[in-house]
Amino acid sequence: VPLMGERPPLRLPPVTRLIPASLVWAVTWIAMIGLDHRVDLANLAMLLVLASAIATLWLPIGASLLCTALSVLAFNWLFVPPRHAFSVDLRQDALLLGAMLAVSWIVAAVVARQRVLAESARRHAQRAEQLRGLGEALRDADDAAQSSLVLRTVLAELLGVPPKMLLLRDTLPPDDDAAATVLIGEPTPHELTGMWHCVRQARPFGPGTGHHAELQEWYLPLRARHAAFGAVSVALDSDPPDDTLRLQAQALCDQLGTFLQRTQTQRAAHAARDHAQAQGIRNALLAAISHDYRTPLAAIMGAASSLCEQGDRLATGQRQRLAQSIVDQTMQLSRLTENTLQLARLDGSGVQLRLDWESAEEIVGTALRHARSRDSQRRVRARLEPAVPLVRCDALLLSQLLDNLVDNALKYSAAPTPVELLVRRQSGCVVFAVRDRGPGVEPAWRERIFEVYQRGEHRAHDSDGSGALARRGAGVGLAVCRAIARAHGGELKLRVRAHGGASFECWLPEAVPPSVEPDEGRPGTA
Amino acid sequence: MSLAVLLVEDDRELRTMLRDALVVEGFEVFTAVSLSEGLALLGGLADRAGQRGPGIDLVLLDLGLPDGDGEALLAALRKRHSIPLIVISARDSDGEKIRLLDSGADDYLVKPFGIGELLARMRVSLRHRGTRLAPAVTRYEHGALSIDLASHAVRLAGTAVHLTPTEYKLLARLVRNAGQVVTHRQLLADVWGANYTEHTHYLRLYMGQLRAKLEADSTDPQRLLTEPGVGYRLAEASD
Repeated sequence: VPLMGERPPLRLPPVTRLIPASLVWAVTWIAMIGLDHRVDLANLAMLLVLASAIATLWLPIGASLLCTALSVLAFNWLFVPPRHAFSVDLRQDALLLGAMLAVSWIVAAVVARQRVLAESARRHAQRAEQLRGLGEALRDADDAAQSSLVLRTVLAELLGVPPKMLLLRDTLPPDDDAAATVLIGEPTPHELTGMWHCVRQARPFGPGTGHHAELQEWYLPLRARHAAFGAVSVALDSDPPDDTLRLQAQALCDQLGTFLQRTQTQRAAHAARDHAQAQGIRNALLAAISHDYRTPLAAIMGAASSLCEQGDRLATGQRQRLAQSIVDQTMQLSRLTENTLQLARLDGSGVQLRLDWESAEEIVGTALRHARSRDSQRRVRARLEPAVPLVRCDALLLSQLLDNLVDNALKYSAAPTPVELLVRRQSGCVVFAVRDRGPGVEPAWRERIFEVYQRGEHRAHDSDGSGALARRGAGVGLAVCRAIARAHGGELKLRVRAHGGASFECWLPEAVPPSVEPDEGRPGTA
Repeated sequence: MSLAVLLVEDDRELRTMLRDALVVEGFEVFTAVSLSEGLALLGGLADRAGQRGPGIDLVLLDLGLPDGDGEALLAALRKRHSIPLIVISARDSDGEKIRLLDSGADDYLVKPFGIGELLARMRVSLRHRGTRLAPAVTRYEHGALSIDLASHAVRLAGTAVHLTPTEYKLLARLVRNAGQVVTHRQLLADVWGANYTEHTHYLRLYMGQLRAKLEADSTDPQRLLTEPGVGYRLAEASD
């Protein structure tokens, strides 16, 4: 990050500064001696005043005043009659010499003053630029460690030595616990104590601060509005420390303090939001589990207890029906459990898919075989577009996805209408679509239906045709379908069909399967 | 003489239920609750019944036993005997299930399963008993399809079906284990060779061709069944 550091003023070093000044004086004296007797005294005097003004640009004020005074004396000695004597005609030349000296001194003083002001303005601008640069660098910084290194670089440029730093990882610990901090620059135990003190008091220590002026270091807190988030320690050399430098360093430190406070606040907000979200999901999950699991459990409990307690009084047909109900409900519970577990697995990070080259025909065939065992009226039909390529996927997961979609379609469409399982190629994807002629999905629910444990309010076509208010959506079922599609780099979409009904479509990106060596030789059978 | 079954299952409810159901079907049932007990029982029974082979006719092995991997028991069993072994697994143990099938288990059932399904699998496995010594199954009939491995004849409704050599090898491999699952790895190794065990796309292609020739509706197969993620199963022959 490019930063504006405190540069040394653009002045020449003292010795080299003398060169242009001496040159000016030398040229002036040569000119004056050369012009002697050709022009009158007042003109020569003007040359001297001019030289004095120009030389002042390079010389410090004291030297400038001294040079001018000596020059006036020499002028008097060489040019003012009586020559080669310091005596002066009081009526004629005293005024000239006096005015010369006064004008030169005033010019020198004004120029010097101007130079100091310009220098100070430049330093102010540079420090303001430094603050702005740090602010910008902090905006780009990702974390506390990076931002503190940025500050360290800036302070090193400002003060000439890189400071030692102590940063709190989180809130201030009750005792000076090193584990709660990040230390930069290997501070000595003495400096560490000083920095802890500085953090706890949230105020600077050291020469010029009004506290512990005897110290050989400055301790500057990284302050935010209410507290310090760390401290820096700056070793001082023997020079009397510059207060403006310390104030600038403190301003830079405070900027980092504010940044650290902001990141801490953001962290806390994130944590709170994540917590609330996790809480929300857990509550929805528990609510759905209590609903989805209780229904089949109640049916199983009823049938089993009836068999247990009244078994000998029931007719064979009744017993058979109860037993069948237990088998059916158990299968449903089993599927529900499988879906819930799968969803938890896919939600977790680092899920490992068992990817292989799978045939769409086989996956559809498996789904159809599973559906047949549950769909006594054989409403499910399948159709594959010719030449669908092999799909790179986890066959078990994709079977589970299609099983869920077919289950859902059977559940929400009336008995005589068919449920279709179609496979087609479209825009670089292989699309597995499960279509029904049920009531469809309300617009407001078309996206939410995929969220975990969301259910749409709908009149379902129950097998008895009562059309009682039921809820569209398989709860965990569609959520796990979408999770499976996404785990494959695909998507699960809901399309509304033109003449009623819904089409749930799993889009999986096409891939190029490896080639197969052609079958050689003669046929195996005649 | 009734057939003897060794049931290795750690869950008490399931163990009791299965034992009772098998006893009703006329099996003699030995139960073990752990791997070590299963191994001990296997050894003891084998010694006891010197007069008729290993002394048990079929093993039902639950994965996820408290004291170790089912693989150890299968390895111990396969060292000396070709007794059928059926794996009972929860969905979580897919990987181990396939490993066991590849190293010689006969079939698998995913919990929860119905007793009818279990009995059907046991029946198939018992029928194949001894296939490792001599190919017992050489003829296969299923509806209109008839296959005779001895004469290389495949007929559908009386008409000869033309198969390529690879298609025929693949079909014959499935016929030899009709009714049982054969894993991808086993099929690839036996039909194409040991270097091809990862080339499942070969299987997809040739199974598709077989279905096109032997099934009425290849999207709704009745004979060449897919076990997703595991392998293929030729439907049990209809007698």
